[in-house]
Amino acid sequence: MRPTLLKDLKMSSRTMVSPYLELRNVTKLFAKVVANKHVSLSIHGGEVLALLGENGAGKSTIMKIVYGLYHADSGEILINGVEQKIKSPKDAMALGISMIQQHFSLVPAHSVTENIILGNVEGRIDLKHYHERVRELATEYGFDIDPAALVRDLPVGVQQKVEILKALFQKARLLIMDEPTAVLTPKEAINLMEFVRRFAAAGNSVVFITHKLKEVMEVADRIIVMRNGVIHGDVLSANTNESELSTLMIGREMPPFSEEMIVSSSAKPMLRLDDVSVRDTHGAYGLKNASFVVRKGEILGIAGVSGNGQQELCEAICGFRSLASGAISLDNRDLAPLGIRERIDIGIGYVPADRQRDGLVMEMSLAENMVLKSSYGPKWKKWRFLDRTRIAEYTRSKIRAYSIKAPGPEAAVKEMSGGNQQKLIVAREVDSGTKLIIFDQPTRGLDLGAIDYVHKSIIAERNKGKCILCVSTELSEIFALSDRIAVLYKGSIQGIFQKSELTSEKIGLLMAGYSIDAINPSAPEKLKESAQ
Amino acid sequence: MNASLRDLFLSIFFAVVFGIVASGSLLLFLGKNPVDAYILLASSIVRDGYTFAEIFVKATPLILAGLAFALPYKASLFNIGAQGQFYIGALTASAVSLALGESIPALPALVLVVVAAGLAGGLWGSFIGFVKARFNSNEFLISMMSTYVALAVMNYFLRTALMETKHEYPQTDSFAASLWLPTLFDGTRLHVGFIAAILLAIVVWVILQRTDLGYRIRVVGLNPHAARLAGVESGRIYISTFFLAGTLAGLAGVTETNGVQHMLVQGFNPTLGAEGIGIAILANANPIGIIFAAILFGALKVGGTVMGQMSGIPASIIEIMEGFVMVFVILSHFVRNSVEIRRAKLALQRSMAV
Repeated sequence: MRPTLLKDLKMSSRTMVSPYLELRNVTKLFAKVVANKHVSLSIHGGEVLALLGENGAGKSTIMKIVYGLYHADSGEILINGVEQKIKSPKDAMALGISMIQQHFSLVPAHSVTENIILGNVEGRIDLKHYHERVRELATEYGFDIDPAALVRDLPVGVQQKVEILKALFQKARLLIMDEPTAVLTPKEAINLMEFVRRFAAAGNSVVFITHKLKEVMEVADRIIVMRNGVIHGDVLSANTNESELSTLMIGREMPPFSEEMIVSSSAKPMLRLDDVSVRDTHGAYGLKNASFVVRKGEILGIAGVSGNGQQELCEAICGFRSLASGAISLDNRDLAPLGIRERIDIGIGYVPADRQRDGLVMEMSLAENMVLKSSYGPKWKKWRFLDRTRIAEYTRSKIRAYSIKAPGPEAAVKEMSGGNQQKLIVAREVDSGTKLIIFDQPTRGLDLGAIDYVHKSIIAERNKGKCILCVSTELSEIFALSDRIAVLYKGSIQGIFQKSELTSEKIGLLMAGYSIDAINPSAPEKLKESAQ
Repeated sequence: MNASLRDLFLSIFFAVVFGIVASGSLLLFLGKNPVDAYILLASSIVRDGYTFAEIFVKATPLILAGLAFALPYKASLFNIGAQGQFYIGALTASAVSLALGESIPALPALVLVVVAAGLAGGLWGSFIGFVKARFNSNEFLISMMSTYVALAVMNYFLRTALMETKHEYPQTDSFAASLWLPTLFDGTRLHVGFIAAILLAIVVWVILQRTDLGYRIRVVGLNPHAARLAGVESGRIYISTFFLAGTLAGLAGVTETNGVQHMLVQGFNPTLGAEGIGIAILANANPIGIIFAAILFGALKVGGTVMGQMSGIPASIIEIMEGFVMVFVILSHFVRNSVEIRRAKLALQRSMAV
């Protein structure tokens, strides 16, 4: 209880002075959505503020306004009590505001130093001098970075440090970080939290944009919860808990995980991978010697930090990427000679991670998107033409069955929300995947209602006897859905486990590359058994 | 009427008006009164039936050239080479016409001419699609450069096998009269090709909007990633789309050789391909819109020629006008977009205030 009191005391003393940053009634409209509506908030020096909310809640937008990337339609921004017009990131930086985007803004072909000084130096550049300054800065904050290394050779976690150094080099007093832990391993995330605390302790401010409750409780002094572009709560972290936050965030309690799955070890093996290796886009092995079996009526969850071979795995199975070695078979049929279309025809459904890029044609109608994978063949044809009446009827039935919010089958997909777009894809793939359905990040960016719906659909398909591969970076999703869990790290399968064998701590370590022996030295035999 | 559709018509209307005003202002430098010139332009195209019918004569190949650009454009492909496909079609139509002469009855002979020219243009075009599919070459460059090859091929034949009997000019003999496309009205040059071009525009619309091939063409154009994951082989789409485009341009060759000139002359209609692009842009690549855009361009062409003959104003003012109209049409896309966004925002603000 004592530290809480202390913290509150500290906060109240700070409110006496004017806050470092203050927003008053900021409203931002995009063409069809209200991104922010009368948002007022303040951040003090030495404070870590978490901006919490689901995807699309308007957290990033409001901070992009502070950083000058977007312009508010109305409202005021005050820095140290003085109103400022922030027209561009350049203005923001001059005021000591720096923002690290979710997708880094680094030049991959340039060195660390070149990236850090980009835009901050002019004329003839004394690189040696700057290398030295970057090195000093890195040492000061305990970052282990070679200033001369090329950014493209660095892992994502280190690239993020380069972004941070860039902000420090510009003498940022307010550091905004957008979903900084999304790309990090658990250990890297801990390091980042340590940095954030240290940076704030020196009198600076940090805004931490996230949708992960756990992080928020660890790092923030104060938490602002946003929902649908509006602030729904402004609380001190010491006075709240995860359950209260989640209620604020989604407007209701989180649904409990679905009931324990019945593991069906005697069922018929459907999907079989034998020693499969796949090269990634750059020619390196994205997936190395993967072997596993998914049985009829089983969900195999693939856990891992994103970019560890998940995409290669999914694309190899659906025929988008060819195998470097090994074999894949479905229902005892070798897939090697089959192209993408033949694989669709034999009953492989695929819900891709990037739905707008890979799963939908945004400018087309719902009905047109429903027949994306079945336009060949006689199914939808009347004479030589597409039978639009029948396609519309079919789409209407899916709109009803999946309670998709859309005016009708002729509405454009781009007008729908992400959750409804995903439901449309799920409806289509569930129909075309009669034997196997691959779900890659099936609920990324969805609100909880839609997540729940998609999860129920996945389980329903499994119960119909389909075999299901579910890739997810969200551990809660992996645990909620999977019968068995495989962990991918750097393209290799770290092990395949029954769900009950794992805890989220164990799986976190496996995802970070620790071997099972290091975690659990007493049971190496068991691992081998379950991996088979 | 739907607000965005109204915007589309309004913006195209203003683009045309601005184009006319901007090019008219250039007449001031020549010391001519643009208002007089435009009155002359308007009156000259309706002064007699022959001139009026010429509008549609000129519009016929323009419709086909516009379609030859618009169809691949729907698949996000740029067919800059309609000119070359048109020349190959014209060359083939001429060769077949001259070879057949009056040896077989007119109707089957004309059918043969049309099929051969369409096929030749189509094959010439599908080469572009093939190299795009096979080697991922840039269809923009290949189609553009293939025009020069087509031109050279045509010139070669006009100097050798197809050269007129007197061996004076690089042109063919006149075709047998039975192989001329029948005219629609006596005393005009308007031939059945115009009707055919309109029907083809409708066919293209049907292909795009009602058939599975057209559906896939649009899918490939709008989202190639999703198309590939859906098992659509974009390579085949490239080839078939360019085949269809080449066929359309090749048929424009028939309408010109067998419908208008009744012979093949070196380097005729050298700007047809470029005008086709402009027409497709003006019509927003809508096949039905292309019919009207082509008629507008046809009227400008005819009016410009007559005006040039009568008033000493250079006929090239019409080309400048076409250019201005095109630039304004392209600009209007951006204006329309920002109007659309502002309208949506206002609606939002109103709904928030309630």
